[in-house]
Amino acid sequence: MHPLLLLLLATAHGLDKLSYKPTLVGGNVEGRMTGSTFVLEQPRCVFDSYSTANIWLVVATREGMDAFNDSAQPGMPEWSFQRFPTNTSAYLTLGAMQYHYGCPKPDRELTVLRVGSETDCADNISVPNCNGPLPGPGPYWVKFLALNGSEPTATTEWSGPITLKTAREPQSIPGTGGARSGAMIAITAILSVLLAILLAALLATLCSSEACGVGSFRPDAASIRRYNTHHVYDQPAARL
Amino acid sequence: MKIGKARKNISCFGSAELMRERGKNCLPALYLSLHEGLKMAKTDNGIRICQGLLILGNVVIGMCGIALTAECIFFVSDPHGLYPLLEATENNDIYAAAWIGIFVGFALLALSILGIVGVMKSSKTLLLVYIILMLITYAFEMASCITAATHRDFLTPNLFLKQMLERYMKSDTDNNNDKQMTEGVTKTWDNLMLQNQCCGVHGPLDWQEYTSAFRMTHNDADYPWPHNCCVMNTRSEPINLDGCKLGVPGFYNSNGCYDAISGPLNRQAWGVAWFGFAILCWTFCVLLGTMFYWSRIAY
Repeated sequence: MHPLLLLLLATAHGLDKLSYKPTLVGGNVEGRMTGSTFVLEQPRCVFDSYSTANIWLVVATREGMDAFNDSAQPGMPEWSFQRFPTNTSAYLTLGAMQYHYGCPKPDRELTVLRVGSETDCADNISVPNCNGPLPGPGPYWVKFLALNGSEPTATTEWSGPITLKTAREPQSIPGTGGARSGAMIAITAILSVLLAILLAALLATLCSSEACGVGSFRPDAASIRRYNTHHVYDQPAARL
Repeated sequence: MKIGKARKNISCFGSAELMRERGKNCLPALYLSLHEGLKMAKTDNGIRICQGLLILGNVVIGMCGIALTAECIFFVSDPHGLYPLLEATENNDIYAAAWIGIFVGFALLALSILGIVGVMKSSKTLLLVYIILMLITYAFEMASCITAATHRDFLTPNLFLKQMLERYMKSDTDNNNDKQMTEGVTKTWDNLMLQNQCCGVHGPLDWQEYTSAFRMTHNDADYPWPHNCCVMNTRSEPINLDGCKLGVPGFYNSNGCYDAISGPLNRQAWGVAWFGFAILCWTFCVLLGTMFYWSRIAY
């Protein structure tokens, strides 16, 4: 009896489960995941048969994903962004009419949804559907929900877990000093050797010219030269 | 070889009557004096060559001194505006090396002129003064080269990354000195990012991977990276702020600024170090030659 009733209830609600899974945008968008935002692909060509519906994005934690009730209404405080994640485990945001996600996907435009980009309404409880920055690194699960008025008409599957970046402290940056390069060692060594040779040569020069301690007297360094004047040659001739 | 001041007196040709008197006995004396004369001529040539080489060496030193002064003035004038970054790391000794280079260049010019005068006059005192002062200058220039080469090795990417994260747009500064350094770093990075179209040290993800002083005052959703990383139009506004925040190629600068920093600093360090090294090698040879010349001068 009960299972039959449940089946009737489900079909009476007319909730279609679509097999689309929300994905993050491709790798060439560098800001696809930051510390408090992430970027999803738009659900183009998914809700084609629900032309009158409003498409909402459901963001939930693990508990929210398990406990989520598809009859959630966007304006209700139970599903407001400001109470997430302490008082509620899921919220609805980024509501748009279905025609915004029309098919086919335009060729050269970037069709993305940035979750977490609105900072001015993050503390404003009168805007419960605020697309505010996510409060922590997650992980989060998302899915799209199509609502016709207040009736849920279609829902996609839950995405995989989305874990945001956690920033490290700058003190953890390793090795701000550098190793000694070969060039610096070469310069130092060669210049030191040259200076030492110069000082040694200076000492040798000073000591050889003045008598600074031991100095051998070299005969050819004598400054007195033998002058052969004509007198020396004259005398033997005169004597002869 | 002796470099005498007075020329030897060849007395056989001293007076005509003495020559007629001695007749053929003057011939040996003549031969000896000719031999002495030839040897003097050869040593004269040797002296001249030695003097010429030393003068040439000193001329080259003088010109290199002027070039060193000019190069170091160019570096000290900081055309790329990177000095505040080094000042904030308290590691600005490359600039100290350039300052020493300016004065060493002047000293080399003055001493080379002294050396040329000393060699031409063959004066022992002048040359001794020249040698001693050149050795002092040599020591200073050696210090400058080694300083430039050593401190260049400290300038790694992580050094600039850490400084950028800790100082860029820091709002709570401890004292006046800290405030000045912070303002210098902030202004320098802003100029760097705008003029070189770059972002961060390795890239914009530096701002995402690490917490920073910038992150304290600018939230992550509005400023995943500073707005100076965005591609700007002619009025210095981002052409598409949402595209920049998303990180779409074409609306933000994805390359890092490390090349723009390390290029000029490397050129400065290696310019001072290697040019100084070359000058010192040449000076070494000239000084050895001068000492040899000095030891051969007779009083």
